[in-house]
Amino acid sequence: MNRKYTPYLFISPWVIGFLAFTMGPLLLSLGMSFFDWSITGTPEFIGAGNYIKMFTKDPQFYKSLAITIRFALIFVPLNMVVALILAMLITQPIKGVKIFRTIFYVPAVVSGVAISIIWGWLLDSNYGIINYLLSLLGIQGPKWLVDPKWAIFAIIFASAWGVGTMMLIFYTAIKSIPPSLYEAAALDGAGPIRQFFFITIPMITPTILFNLITSLIGALQQLTLVLLLTNGGPLRSTYFYGMYVYNNAFKHHKLGYASANAWIMFVVILLLTALVFRSSSAWVFYEAEKKGGKKA
Amino acid sequence: MKKSKIFMSLLLSMMLLLTACGSQTTKTPAKEEQTAKPAEKQTEKTEEPKKEEPKKEEPKKETQTGTAKVKIRFASWDDSESLTEQQKLVDQFNQSQDAIEVVMEAYGDNYDTKIAAGMGSKDAPDVMYMWNYPAYYKGLENLNPFIEKEGANYKNNFYETLWEYNSMNGEVYGIPVGYTTHVLYYNKDLFDKAGVAYPTDDWSWEDLKAAAKKVKEGNEGVAGFSFSRKPDPYDFEMYLWSNGAAYSNEKGELNGSINDEKSMAVFKMFQDMEKEGIAITTEGGGTNEVLGGKVAMYINGAWSIGRFNEAGLNYGMVKIPGFGKPSVSILSSSGLSMSKDSANKDAAWEFIKFWTGKEMNKARLSYELPVLKDVVAEEKVTADPGKKVFFDMLEQSAGYTPSFFKIENWSEISESLELAFEEMYNESSLRAPEEAINDIISMFP
Repeated sequence: MNRKYTPYLFISPWVIGFLAFTMGPLLLSLGMSFFDWSITGTPEFIGAGNYIKMFTKDPQFYKSLAITIRFALIFVPLNMVVALILAMLITQPIKGVKIFRTIFYVPAVVSGVAISIIWGWLLDSNYGIINYLLSLLGIQGPKWLVDPKWAIFAIIFASAWGVGTMMLIFYTAIKSIPPSLYEAAALDGAGPIRQFFFITIPMITPTILFNLITSLIGALQQLTLVLLLTNGGPLRSTYFYGMYVYNNAFKHHKLGYASANAWIMFVVILLLTALVFRSSSAWVFYEAEKKGGKKA
Repeated sequence: MKKSKIFMSLLLSMMLLLTACGSQTTKTPAKEEQTAKPAEKQTEKTEEPKKEEPKKEEPKKETQTGTAKVKIRFASWDDSESLTEQQKLVDQFNQSQDAIEVVMEAYGDNYDTKIAAGMGSKDAPDVMYMWNYPAYYKGLENLNPFIEKEGANYKNNFYETLWEYNSMNGEVYGIPVGYTTHVLYYNKDLFDKAGVAYPTDDWSWEDLKAAAKKVKEGNEGVAGFSFSRKPDPYDFEMYLWSNGAAYSNEKGELNGSINDEKSMAVFKMFQDMEKEGIAITTEGGGTNEVLGGKVAMYINGAWSIGRFNEAGLNYGMVKIPGFGKPSVSILSSSGLSMSKDSANKDAAWEFIKFWTGKEMNKARLSYELPVLKDVVAEEKVTADPGKKVFFDMLEQSAGYTPSFFKIENWSEISESLELAFEEMYNESSLRAPEEAINDIISMFP
């Protein structure tokens, strides 16, 4: 066989998998979004009908989009701050820090289904341990999964359970900052707080960018937790976009419409990601990059 | 449920694909009493037994020798224990004859998703459990011709009411397998402690309210009665029926029915019970609360029996209270349907007949209410007071067709109704029923 093709042979398992299980379905769903397809019947071509209906006749589309974006706006910054704090803690040269590193990371390997069940119990307004602990402090805990004002926070807490992955990424980034920078700063009289803001943060901006994008995408696609923990309720206060798409497809059997929904979310994610990338030149610092090309 | 972090669009499409490949085994822990699946034992969810990993090789018709057996794919929504039982019965069928081989596919809690995807890709199983006929009947075979061939007695041996729940537009699309009606469960210990007489079959809602109040007073921290904070609209229509109303008229129109005085009275009564502290609302159906001794009475199908017995709860069952006349119950029924696209319809029918026949009804007696009159008579099923009450409710519930069967866009209306109910009964909103129902009318004029 011609040696020219050998590399392609090596990557072929991935490429075939990608084409069959990612690209193919992706294109199929794009095509489907122009059809009215109720699963059992024959698909009927309706052009942009699904998209028009979504934007003009479906109030739930806007509601779900708003809920999801609101969730992302609260969850993403919170998650990043917590992850960064934890990462800072586990980089301290203290005895037993390895144990904490493991403990902080463990929840991240637990499956979403298990997390939903655990949090369902923790947050139960009558028997849950969280409200019990609050009652010991004389606080009457909210009805987490019953009161529409609080349910979204229940989802946020449960989602933050997976903070360990992000923590670990921050941890490795912080670890790779050359100690000489800190030594020099210390000699110049910079305290730990200044060191954090003027050395640690700038040096890990590429990691912050990465975590921002991945957690933004993850937040906008949140489905497992709402499906299992709140089922969109109470009073549709957690009827996230993912749930909206899922229900349109598998509850109302509007596969074409659900595909159109999904593509709109795809576009939203694409735009947001592009926006973040666009902004990154203003705040992300790459060591290898020569700004302005002066010393090139 | 799949929960990979892939794009939504991918998720949808992946499900289709995975189904086509037929080896996905993930599942969701079902919420309690989530669907109308009948007589499903509410046991803890364990992993599916290995042997159910279905059909790696799945030849449509591989006739290498010419005498190869016809393969029939049979989809079940049960899981864990009931599934093991089912597999035994399937084995029994396979041994009983040499022309057909039935392969069971256990879809568990992903049942609807997988059936939907299977029909969409023309790869639905030949035989499948079914209850949601309005959604799927277009992908199912009309069974009337098969039934006619069996003779009149065949059909008459089934309880009549069951056919209504297994038909669409007058055509039968499924043969009844099991059913449950709903009954009032009560905790005898809590009644004894409060010195209140047990509920009886002729109770009215006024009787229930009075007793609930007394039981509550006699037991600290216990509620007299409970219902779901988010009642399933399919089930809830039975209370309207009991008061001579319904969600919709024969044409499936809501206006004039769901906002009728008698309907509104029912919606209000439940809200008032909650406001007056006679009842509490529960996150799920209420089984956990009753099991925990926190609630003295609630209404549910036969699903609770297994768990109550297992926990050794001292409970009783009576008919649902009425509004001055006999109450009506919704049926949660299961049938066995045939795919319209099946390549081996006669073989599929053979298996359906076996699965819904006398022998199998008897084999399932310990966990499923039989649907055949001769089985009920021969096995003296109604001599057991714990079973009789379900048959009594069945008898007085004939002649009602759920709006579920009459309204084309039921799944959307149902979702909106569910929200309206939640608005009425969630203690943090307690919206006036008139407003909530008026919203429904304006959304679906």
